[in-house]
Amino acid sequence: MTIVKRKLIILTDPGQDEAVAILVILGSPDDFEVLGVVATAGNIELDYTEKNARKILELAGRSDIPVFAGCPRPMHRPLVTAAHVHGPTGLDGPDLPEPTMPLQKKHGVDWLVETVMAAEPGTITICSLSPLTNLAMALVREPAIASRIKEIVMMAGAYFEMGNITPTAEFNIYVDPEAADVVLRSGIKMTMLPLDVTHQMLSTRARLDRFRALGNRCGVAVAEMMTFSEPFDLKKYGWDGAPLHGPCVPAFMLKPELFQGREINVTVELGSELTMGMSVADYWRITDRPKNVFYVRSGDAAGYYDLIAERLARLP
Amino acid sequence: MKRKIIIDTDPGQDDAVAILLALASPEELDVLAIVAVAGNVGLAKNAKNALKVVELSGRTDVPVYAGSVSPMRRKPVTAEHVHGATGLDGPDLPEPKLKLQPQHGVDFLIDTLLAAEPGSITLCTLGPLTNVAMALVKAPATARGIAEIVMMGGGYFEVGNITPAAEFNIFVDPEAADVVLRSGVKITMIPLDVTHGVLSTRPRLDRIAAIGNRVGKAVDEMLSFSERFDLNKYAARGAPLHDPCVIAYLLRPDLFEGREISVTVETHSELTMGLTVADWWRITDRPRNVFYLRRADADGFYALLNQRLARLP
Repeated sequence: MTIVKRKLIILTDPGQDEAVAILVILGSPDDFEVLGVVATAGNIELDYTEKNARKILELAGRSDIPVFAGCPRPMHRPLVTAAHVHGPTGLDGPDLPEPTMPLQKKHGVDWLVETVMAAEPGTITICSLSPLTNLAMALVREPAIASRIKEIVMMAGAYFEMGNITPTAEFNIYVDPEAADVVLRSGIKMTMLPLDVTHQMLSTRARLDRFRALGNRCGVAVAEMMTFSEPFDLKKYGWDGAPLHGPCVPAFMLKPELFQGREINVTVELGSELTMGMSVADYWRITDRPKNVFYVRSGDAAGYYDLIAERLARLP
Repeated sequence: MKRKIIIDTDPGQDDAVAILLALASPEELDVLAIVAVAGNVGLAKNAKNALKVVELSGRTDVPVYAGSVSPMRRKPVTAEHVHGATGLDGPDLPEPKLKLQPQHGVDFLIDTLLAAEPGSITLCTLGPLTNVAMALVKAPATARGIAEIVMMGGGYFEVGNITPAAEFNIFVDPEAADVVLRSGVKITMIPLDVTHGVLSTRPRLDRIAAIGNRVGKAVDEMLSFSERFDLNKYAARGAPLHDPCVIAYLLRPDLFEGREISVTVETHSELTMGLTVADWWRITDRPRNVFYLRRADADGFYALLNQRLARLP
């Protein structure tokens, strides 16, 4: 039996839920070959996110995967962070040691361009867990990468759930709406996992206890991370768990049958501060805008948490 | 005590049902007048439809005015694709014998509200907010006479219908909606979030037809016509029944749930023009200007509608 592993480049700004997403990927070595991680400014400044990415790789025992720092700021707007959710380091919760693995010297945007251009066309999947700055910068720098990327699977946007950082914008789009616009217009095949689905994936106490009970250091760390980051959402929404956003991206790649969606047009609002960064999804197909996104609307939360637990259990 | 109301409307099948519900509730509601506005179809047709509905109800004592012929700033957008060429396709209603009042609807609003006891008249808006905004601009003191504006308009969790981001009544005249929302008048907003939960399923329409009066028959015919568009679009069991929620809220507020929040209308960007940005999760410091309804008891709503329509001819 031959298993074709999916080659991944991970763009991320960890962040607790991004960390869980990375761990799910690393717990799936039969499915994914991770070429590298590019850190993004987002949940917290770049100096923290690149370090957090290295901490997570070391936690998983995968210091062989290179980590690159991308752009320290969005394309056009000043950086907005979410330290109020993620804590001052962006990864508060577990007590992870300072990383010893190095940060790569090359700029993340340059590495992304070179790696995609050097690979067979249609072999690399971009897994985006953050604002889309580095991918958009790479597309501007070398437009030829668009036809060589297999697909983009991103946690970003919202339609029925509308927004989190503002009433109408999801954080990853809001931080760099121009970058999201570049990516959405790139013509690359893409799947979007918006708040509409992540808000169904609630980290209830029972689910976090299950991670802790795995007994390995990764399971315990995940429980500690989520326990730190969830109070903000619990207080805001009054739900019995916080949305677990990032891992929807690997879960969709691993088990697409857990999710439902449709091909539609999504266009980002850039023209008004009131609605800046809104991902206007033509879910009901009432415009003639070209379909550019497979937009995921719902998912099976029990199956999702089963999958995460199963993959985390394979890690140290 | 009876609540004095003025219904500002662009009938429209669901507007017609709202008007009938109000006219069937004389113990609670004193309907001072109906003012037509350009919206679902052009003003002349909307005004004529209002006359037809009044005659259908037998309440020919209620005066009907024609208001604004176009939105404040933008070109008219209509919805014949939903409501049919007349705006009230479905039942075969006779040409009205009743005449429109000669006064312009905006001036009627101003005169009536200036002459009224402060805070004594509730405006029920079932269409674009042009007339109310025009009155507030022309004579700001009009606001004093208003007890409350209860409007069908906007959407947040259901976002839009005429565009991916905007609900029809707000989209047609976003500047008017903005004037009204910033007016300081007490406002209750009944958005798509509520009306998309109040579906006119076949059994519900059958129960209305089974009342056996001419109004029940006409309502079934109206909604059977207008629901086709939504059934096809949403692939749901029934179409949303929007405007009667406004009157139902006046009669039975206990059927609805909502909260006080800020709502701001997008008026700058064409992509999201007319979006009602509702701060449902209260994450901004924008002042709370709206009681925003989020959901309704659909069974309770249809029971009320049936009970009231049965009182009409």
